[in-house]
Amino acid sequence: MLQLKMKKQEEKISKIIYDLVIIGGGPAGLTAGIYAGRARLKTVIIEEIITGGQSATTELLENYPGFKDGVGGMDLAMIMTEQVKRFGTEIIYGKVISTKLTGEIKDIYFASSMIKAKAVIIASGAIPRKIKAEGADKFHGRGISYCATCDGALFRDKKIVIVGAGNSAIEEGIFLQRFTKDITFVQDLPYLTAEKILQERIKNYPDTKFYLGTIIKSINGEERVESVTARTVKENKEFEIPADGVFVYIGYIPKTDFLDKGLKLDGQGYIVTDENLKTNLDGVFAAGDVRVKDLRQVITAASDGAIAAHSVEKYLENK
Amino acid sequence: MALLSNEDREYLKGLFTEMKRNVNILLFTTEEKEFSGFCDDIKVILSELESISDKIKIKEYSFEKNRDEVEKFKVKRGPTLVLMAEKDLGVKYYGIPAGYEFSSLVEDIVDIGNDTIAIDENILERVKLINKPVNIQVFVTHTCPYCPSAVRTAHKFAMANKNITADMIDANTFYDYVNKYGVQGVPRVVINENNHFEGALPEEEYLKQILNALK
Repeated sequence: MLQLKMKKQEEKISKIIYDLVIIGGGPAGLTAGIYAGRARLKTVIIEEIITGGQSATTELLENYPGFKDGVGGMDLAMIMTEQVKRFGTEIIYGKVISTKLTGEIKDIYFASSMIKAKAVIIASGAIPRKIKAEGADKFHGRGISYCATCDGALFRDKKIVIVGAGNSAIEEGIFLQRFTKDITFVQDLPYLTAEKILQERIKNYPDTKFYLGTIIKSINGEERVESVTARTVKENKEFEIPADGVFVYIGYIPKTDFLDKGLKLDGQGYIVTDENLKTNLDGVFAAGDVRVKDLRQVITAASDGAIAAHSVEKYLENK
Repeated sequence: MALLSNEDREYLKGLFTEMKRNVNILLFTTEEKEFSGFCDDIKVILSELESISDKIKIKEYSFEKNRDEVEKFKVKRGPTLVLMAEKDLGVKYYGIPAGYEFSSLVEDIVDIGNDTIAIDENILERVKLINKPVNIQVFVTHTCPYCPSAVRTAHKFAMANKNITADMIDANTFYDYVNKYGVQGVPRVVINENNHFEGALPEEEYLKQILNALK
């Protein structure tokens, strides 16, 4: 069906001091925006590209409660975005390049302007981890993709290798079946790591091949990707898999590079919080995929957003 | 079938209300069978827009029959949209501006209608200095959130300088182009046929790519 998606611009970088700036317009940031708006905090959400974050590029969310037949990732993001606006929370689009979070008043910097706030929720999420293999740089964006919804349509009836076999990998592998049947999964672990229901479903596509306990050594080709060289972890046996495209789902890295150095991160760069989602800096909270946690899902992000906004409300009351 | 919610219509009404000049959208349809459904889709989108603002004027041409207009606007195939004020600005959409690309279409309309170009002034000045022909082709899919930024930058450059023309190319509609140009990731930006880069670059970097291609 024909769908029209619209990014509504609200470029009004303000001179006032906000009660709360939320960095990131994914499910965590949007939910925080809903709760903060209802608490009548003067709140702005800053989003870099498009609200919904990673979930916006998910074809169908089946495990988010309330939608018995599932809901499109982008559709859910748009509903949440409209819901946020009902309560007076602003959304502006821009890229935060640095922050100063240590003082009473927090400064959020864009390339040519800034915003001030009394409290900050960092909900900047995570971005896909890049594949490390020979040829990875050469073919970045030219056969290697991290977004099946973006690029899948370009590989109609082509050969696709999917690296990884977790939830994202299998979900996108099912999505890509609409374009091609020639799909091969390569995963370093000797078993699939996706939810059991996804494992069952991918088995409904008998043409799909799996190489488990196998890593990608190189991505090969002259102008275009022509094959990958894979290597088994145990026997160290190398072999070629013909491929026109390589879709990579090998985990995520948190987006924390623009933040103050004083903010406490764990060894992988995720933000450390207490159970109320407060970071080590006063008035600074973190929600969603960007913080240390076990389960990174839309629902846990939304839950974080609610808790973080509530914590901000209490923090501002007690000041 | 209404594609836009009432709320979206109201939002657009507000956005279009200040426009000070007409925005002419020329639709070039085609009789080629495989594209007739796409032409219908575009007509639905355009009639929605036309009903929202009387500043938006739609004209329909046939790629096969109206050869004078095809020549005049250098249309390569249908379905294609040409967005213009009174004069041609070199702004085109090959295929359907739907999904995320609907945003590009709306923002282009606002820029043209307000006779402004939403671009950093320093960059604008440098774009205006380009004195050689530049054609920018931006390949997109409807489901690519990063693509509209690449389309818009190209279209803004075209609005700024008559030596520059810029085409959105919808990979879903024109799959043969995808193969011809070997597009394997979107957005892909092709400059004067021979140079290309992938990804949505900031305006500054985008301009550098164009200047490099002209060397």
